Amino acid sequence: MLGGDRHVTFLPERSAMQFLHLFTFRHRVLFATLLGSIGVAVVIVMSIDVARDMRLLDSASSDNVQYALSQTEVEYLEYELLLARAVHETAPDLKRLRQRFDIFYSRANTLQDAPTYARVRELPYFSAILPNIRSFLESQAQIIDSPDPVLQAAIPKLAETAAEFRSSIRLLSNSGLQYFAQDSDQHRLNVAITLTRMAAVVTFLVAALLVLVFYLVYLNAQNIRRRREVDQTSNRMKIVTGTALDAVVVCDLNGRILDFNAAAEQIFGHSAKTAIGADLGELIVPDKYRAAHDAGMARMRAHGEKHVTGKGRVKLEAKRATGELFPVEFAIQAAQTDEGEIFIAFLRDISHRVQAEQDLVAARDRALSGEKAKTDFLATMSHEIRTPLNGLLGNLALLRDTRLSAKQTRYIDNMDTSGKLLMSHISDVLDITKYDAGKLRLRPVAMNISALLQDIVDNQSGAASANNTVLEWGWRGEPADWIRADQDRIQHVLMNIIGNAVKFTHDGRVSLEIEMHSDQQSTAVMQITVRDTGIGMDAELQAQIFDDFMTGDSSYIRTVGGTGLGLGIAKRFVTALGGTIEVQSEKGTGSQFRIRLPVELIAAPESVVKERKQPTDAAPCHILLVEDNEINRFVAREMLTAAGHKVSEAHNGQIAVDMAQTQHFDLILMDISMPVKDGRKATREIRAGHGASARTPIVALTANAMAEEQEAFLLDGMNDILTKPLTREGLNEAIVNHVAARPDTPDTPMPATEPETKSHIATRYLDDLRETLGVEALDGLLARFMREVDETIGYLDDYTDQPLAEIAKKTHQIAGSAASLGAVELRGKLLAIETAAKAADMARLALEIDALPAIWTRTRETMQAERRAAPRD
Amino acid sequence: MLRALRYALALIACLGGPALAQDHTRDLPLPKGDVILTVSGAIGITNVGNTAQFDLAMLEALKSETFETTTIWTEGTERFKGVPLNVLAKRLGFTGQTLRATAINDYAIEIPMSDAVEGGPILAYLMNGEVMSVRDNGPLWVVYPFDRNPDYRSEVIYSRSIWQLDRIEVLN
Repeated sequence: MLGGDRHVTFLPERSAMQFLHLFTFRHRVLFATLLGSIGVAVVIVMSIDVARDMRLLDSASSDNVQYALSQTEVEYLEYELLLARAVHETAPDLKRLRQRFDIFYSRANTLQDAPTYARVRELPYFSAILPNIRSFLESQAQIIDSPDPVLQAAIPKLAETAAEFRSSIRLLSNSGLQYFAQDSDQHRLNVAITLTRMAAVVTFLVAALLVLVFYLVYLNAQNIRRRREVDQTSNRMKIVTGTALDAVVVCDLNGRILDFNAAAEQIFGHSAKTAIGADLGELIVPDKYRAAHDAGMARMRAHGEKHVTGKGRVKLEAKRATGELFPVEFAIQAAQTDEGEIFIAFLRDISHRVQAEQDLVAARDRALSGEKAKTDFLATMSHEIRTPLNGLLGNLALLRDTRLSAKQTRYIDNMDTSGKLLMSHISDVLDITKYDAGKLRLRPVAMNISALLQDIVDNQSGAASANNTVLEWGWRGEPADWIRADQDRIQHVLMNIIGNAVKFTHDGRVSLEIEMHSDQQSTAVMQITVRDTGIGMDAELQAQIFDDFMTGDSSYIRTVGGTGLGLGIAKRFVTALGGTIEVQSEKGTGSQFRIRLPVELIAAPESVVKERKQPTDAAPCHILLVEDNEINRFVAREMLTAAGHKVSEAHNGQIAVDMAQTQHFDLILMDISMPVKDGRKATREIRAGHGASARTPIVALTANAMAEEQEAFLLDGMNDILTKPLTREGLNEAIVNHVAARPDTPDTPMPATEPETKSHIATRYLDDLRETLGVEALDGLLARFMREVDETIGYLDDYTDQPLAEIAKKTHQIAGSAASLGAVELRGKLLAIETAAKAADMARLALEIDALPAIWTRTRETMQAERRAAPRD
Repeated sequence: MLRALRYALALIACLGGPALAQDHTRDLPLPKGDVILTVSGAIGITNVGNTAQFDLAMLEALKSETFETTTIWTEGTERFKGVPLNVLAKRLGFTGQTLRATAINDYAIEIPMSDAVEGGPILAYLMNGEVMSVRDNGPLWVVYPFDRNPDYRSEVIYSRSIWQLDRIEVLN
C-alpha cells in the first residue's frame, strides 16, 4: 500500500537523455504528438503531391495531341481520297465531300484555336505551317461553299491542290513527334522528381519512425525500471512497516484505514484484513474519546485544522480488540498523495513503560520511606541507647561521690571513659543522620580560635607524648583570634583531624598552622593545616578516607580503633560550614590535612568572662522532676538534692499536670517520652491551665536531639531543653537561668551581657529560638508577632464595643505567642486582660488595657533590636 | 383582357399541348428536316424503324439547359444550349448501361449511363446562341459543365466530350 501507486522520487539519470527529465510527462506527450503530427502532415502533403503528379501522368494531354494530330492527317487523307475518287465520277457525292471538308476544317480549326494545343503551336515549324493550312482551308472553303456545279467543276483543281498540300499536313503530323519526345522527357523528369521526393519523404519518415521507435523503447525501458524501483520502494516500505516495532496505521481523510502493519495487528489484536477499510475511530479509539475524535476529524475535513497531526508525540489511551484500554504514545504525519490526503500514525504500546514508571516511582517511594525509617530508627536507637547510658554515667557520677578505694576510683574512671566514648560514637551517628536528613543547623558564635586550638592541643598533648610525638601549633601571618563561627562543629572537626594525626604518628611531629586570608574587613578564609610525620596513606586510601565507616587498613583497627565515621562527619561539617577539606599524604612519610573555612572576623568582646559558664550554685528551690525511667529519675533526683534543691517526682505527664495544678514549683524538669501522657502534651496542659505552676519554667529532658523536635518543644510552651545524659553542670545552669531570673531573687547573678532593661523580655527564649530556628526564621516570627500585637492593641482601643469572650480569646492567643518569644511582661499583662474579660470585671479590664501600650512600647523596642541580632553564645 | 387571356391559353395549348401529349403518349414524331441524331439500341421509344431519329427542331422541342463554360478546345468562355443527356435518356426510355456515341467521322466513344444525371452533360446544339456547323464541331456536341464541376475536368470526360455527334447506340 505505501508508496505503491503514489508518486515517488526517481533516482537521478546518468544517461545522455537526462535532459528529458527536464520535461514533465505532459511535455513529452506534447512533443511526441507534435512529432507525429508533423510526420502525418508531411505524408499527406507528399501524398497529395504524388497523387497530383500521378493524375498529371495519368491524364497527359499528349495522347490527345497525338490523336488530334494524326486524326487531322486522317481526316485530310479521307478528304483527299474522296476528292481523288470524285475526279473520276460523273456525279460525285458533293454533300459527303463537303462534310469531309468540314470535318477536316473543324479539326484544323481546333488545332489552331484550342488552348490545349497551345504548347504544340509553340513548335517553330508547326507554327510556320499553321498559316499555310489557314490559307489552304480558306481557298478550298471558297470552292467547297460554291454552288454544286461550280464545285463539281473545281474538283480536279481541288484534288490537285489537296495532293500538293498533303506534304504540309504530313509535316504537321510529324511535328508532333518532337513534342512527344519533349513531353515524354518532361514527364519522365517529373516522375523522377516526384519519385525522388517521395523516396526522400519515405526515408525521412522511416528515419523519424526509427527515432520514435528508439524513443519509445527508451521510454518503455525507463518505465519498466521505474516500475521496478517503485515496486522495490514499495516492498522496502512494506518490510519496514511490517517489521517495525511500532504500530503503523494509515488512514484517509474520512478515517478509513488504508494500511495496518504487523505490529499494529499484534498491539491492537485486529487482523490487517479486518482492519483495512474499517473506521479508525471505531476500531482503536476508546469509546470515551470517540466524540472528540470524530469532531476532530470533521474539523479537519471542513477547515483543515490539525491539532495532533505533525505535532510530535502525544500520549493517549487506545482500545484493543478485546475492548481493553491501554496507554499509547503516538505521532501522526499527513502526506499528500494521488488519492488525497492520508495520515500515517505511528503508535507505541507504552503500557509496559507506564507500568515500569509506576514501579519505579513506587520503588523510589519505598526507598525514601526506607530512608526515613532508617533515620527514624537511628534516632530512636540513639535515644534508646542514650537513656540507659545516661543512667549508667549518672550512677557512676553518684558512685564517685561515695567513699571509694583507689582501685575502685580507677575502675570508675575507666567506666566513665568508656561510657563517654560510647556516647560520642552515638553522637557521631546522630550527627550523620541529621546532616543527611538536611537538618544540621549551624550555630555561629563569637569565639577565640587561638584558645580553641590551645585547648585541643592541651587535650591531645597527653596522647602525643605517649607516642613520643611533639605536638605544636602556631600562627602563620597576622594572628586574628576572634571570629564568629560554629565553635562546636569546628572543634569537632579539628579534634578528629588532630586526634587522627596523633594516633598515627609515633616518634614524630604533629604541627598545626593557622592562617587568615582576608580580603575584606569582616570576612576571611581561615586555613588550618595539620601536618604529621606519621605512617601516611597510599593514594587509594586517600581517596576513601572521607567515606563513611572507613577505617583504613585492618591493622589500624587493631592499633587505634574507631567507628570509621570521624572523617566522614568532619567532611560533612566542613561542607555544611561552606568550607573545604583536603588531604595530601605519602605512605611512610606522613599526611597533611588542610581545612579552609569562611569565617567572620570580629573584635574581641570587652568582657570575656563567661558568667553563665561558671555560674554560682543556684539558690535552693522547689523542683518538679517528671521522668518515667526509674534510674534516670534516681540520678537526677540525687544530683538535685545533692545541690540542695527540694525535689518532687512525677512518673508520667498526667501526674505532673495534676501536681502542677495544685502546687507551685520553681522549675519543672520534663521528660518527653513517657507513658500515659508525654512531656509535650503535659506541658501544653500545664500552660493552658490556671494552676499554681502554670507559669513555672519548664525544661525538657531529652536524649532525642532532633532540631525540629526542639522547636516543637518550645512551641509547646517549654522554656529550655537539656540533653541527656544529665550533668550537674547542665542542671545547675538550667536552674540558674530559669529560676534565678525571678524578680524575688534579685541577688541572682545575671549574665553580664544582658542588661537589666531587657527584663521585660527573657532574651534567653529568643536566643533559644534563634539557635533552633535560625536568624531569618526568628526575624519573620518576630515581625509577624509585632504585627499581631499592633493589631490587637488597635482592637482593644475600643474594647467597650467588643464582646468580652472575644477579647479573652484574642488576648489568650497573643499571650501564647508572647510566651514563646519570651515577652514575659507583655504576656503577663495580656493574661491579666484575659482574666478580667472572663470575669467581666470592667474596672479591672480598663486598668489592664490602659497599662498595655506602655509595656508593648518597651517590649517592641527590644524585639526590634533582637530581630537582626546575632545569636549569643 | 379576357381576349388576351384566351389567346395566351390557346398559345399554351398549341405549344405545350403536344409536348404534354408526347410525354404521356410517348410518341415520337417523324423528323421533318435533316436528321442530325439517330438513337438506336436499348430504347423504349422509336420513330423510324428501331431507331429514334431527330431533326434540330425535335431536339429544340425537348427540355433544354444552357450553361457557360470554357473548354480545352475553344478560346474563352462559351455559352452552350442543348438537351441534357438525362432528359434524352428519359424521353427515349434508355434501358442500357452504356451509350456508344459516334461522330460523323466515325469517331466513337462510350459514355456510361451514370453520366446522365441532373447537372451532367448536354447534347449542345447552340453555341453562343448560334447553330453549330460541322466546321464549328456541330451540329451536336456533348458538352459537360467543365467549369461548374471540377470532376469533369479530367481526360476521361474530355474524351467523352464528342463533337460532330450524329449517332447514339444504347448498349445493354
